Amino acid sequence: MFSSDLRSAAARRDAGIRKISRLTWRAGMAGVICSAVIAVAFGHHAQGQAAPPGQSGTIVVPHQPPAPAQGGGQVTSGAS
Amino acid sequence: MTTAAIARDTFEVFGTTAVLLVTAAQALGPARALADRELAAVDLACSRFRPDSELTALNEAAGDRRTVSPLFADLIAAALRAAALTDGDVDPTCGQALVGLGYDRDFAQVKAINPGPAGLPARFGPVPGWRSVELDQATLRAALSNGARLDLGATAKAWAADRCAALLADQLGCGVLVSLGGDIAVAGPPPADGWRVRVTDDHAAGPDAPGQTVAIAGGGLATSSTTVRTWAAGEHQVHHIIDPATGQSARSCWRTVSVAAGTCVDANTASTAAIIRGEAALGWLAGSGLPARLVRPDGTVETTAGWPRDEPPAAVS
Repeated sequence: MFSSDLRSAAARRDAGIRKISRLTWRAGMAGVICSAVIAVAFGHHAQGQAAPPGQSGTIVVPHQPPAPAQGGGQVTSGAS
Repeated sequence: MTTAAIARDTFEVFGTTAVLLVTAAQALGPARALADRELAAVDLACSRFRPDSELTALNEAAGDRRTVSPLFADLIAAALRAAALTDGDVDPTCGQALVGLGYDRDFAQVKAINPGPAGLPARFGPVPGWRSVELDQATLRAALSNGARLDLGATAKAWAADRCAALLADQLGCGVLVSLGGDIAVAGPPPADGWRVRVTDDHAAGPDAPGQTVAIAGGGLATSSTTVRTWAAGEHQVHHIIDPATGQSARSCWRTVSVAAGTCVDANTASTAAIIRGEAALGWLAGSGLPARLVRPDGTVETTAGWPRDEPPAAVS
């Protein structure tokens, strides 16, 4: 009887530990998901603040670089 | 590509010289008429020296939100995009800094007048910054905060060159080159050997001025320099390229920077930023894949991303 009570108590303890572990893991996962949601939401907001809508991107490179040419130009590029 | 003869027109606009080239002679007259209409609209939208411009009205609005035209909204958007792409090095809120340096009227008048140290307005520190500009292109509303005053000089000419070139090529069906004070945009089928451009310090220099001749077939090419738009401000010689961090003329290791890009406004954005960034511009331009020619004060030339090497000087016999 005494040893049976001990086994039962140990089993309940193990089950409790497993339950707490699951709860801890789920709480951790919930934290990660919340962090991701917040990061996406605020990251998107920050991106919108950094550049006006439609203003992002990069400086567009030419299809091909200037080619060497001889003689004078048809037009001059210089400061004005 | 076309081998037709190129027709040319030259005229004054925005206080500088414009050149219009077309690959079909009969298109030159209509091209000029279209260009005049477009450029007049841009001038009315964003001239800093016209009391009736939208830019003047916004600068005088003391932070109030104003309705703007679609054209002016596009011009502001282009300036904000340039600022965003250069981390604020090309900043449209340099208006007050330029006034502080004496550039408060048409440049020909500025050049003729040295106000002297006592005549100069107070100098200002860092510019308010491009984030002080609020623009809603959907509702066409704009406002300035932190005392910002716009100057779109860094992007408006180049943007207008892009707009004119695209419009003219589309409506006239020929190859078009538009140069506004040396900011060059091309559109439509180019000549067989491309458009030949002499790259030098001053756009008003002749076709054989010291520099280099290159050929482009599309996009844009722009040159920024600290040597041309200069004036005396008290005891100092200053120029128009403002470093937003100081509110003063940029102190650069480059005399002149030319950049080729997919559009003229992007080329001008990069060439202006390069002057402000100094030595770091070499790595930035190369990393961005932008062909560029950078000239140091002693004439030494550096190039990036496939820009052709300067032709060797002719042998002396």
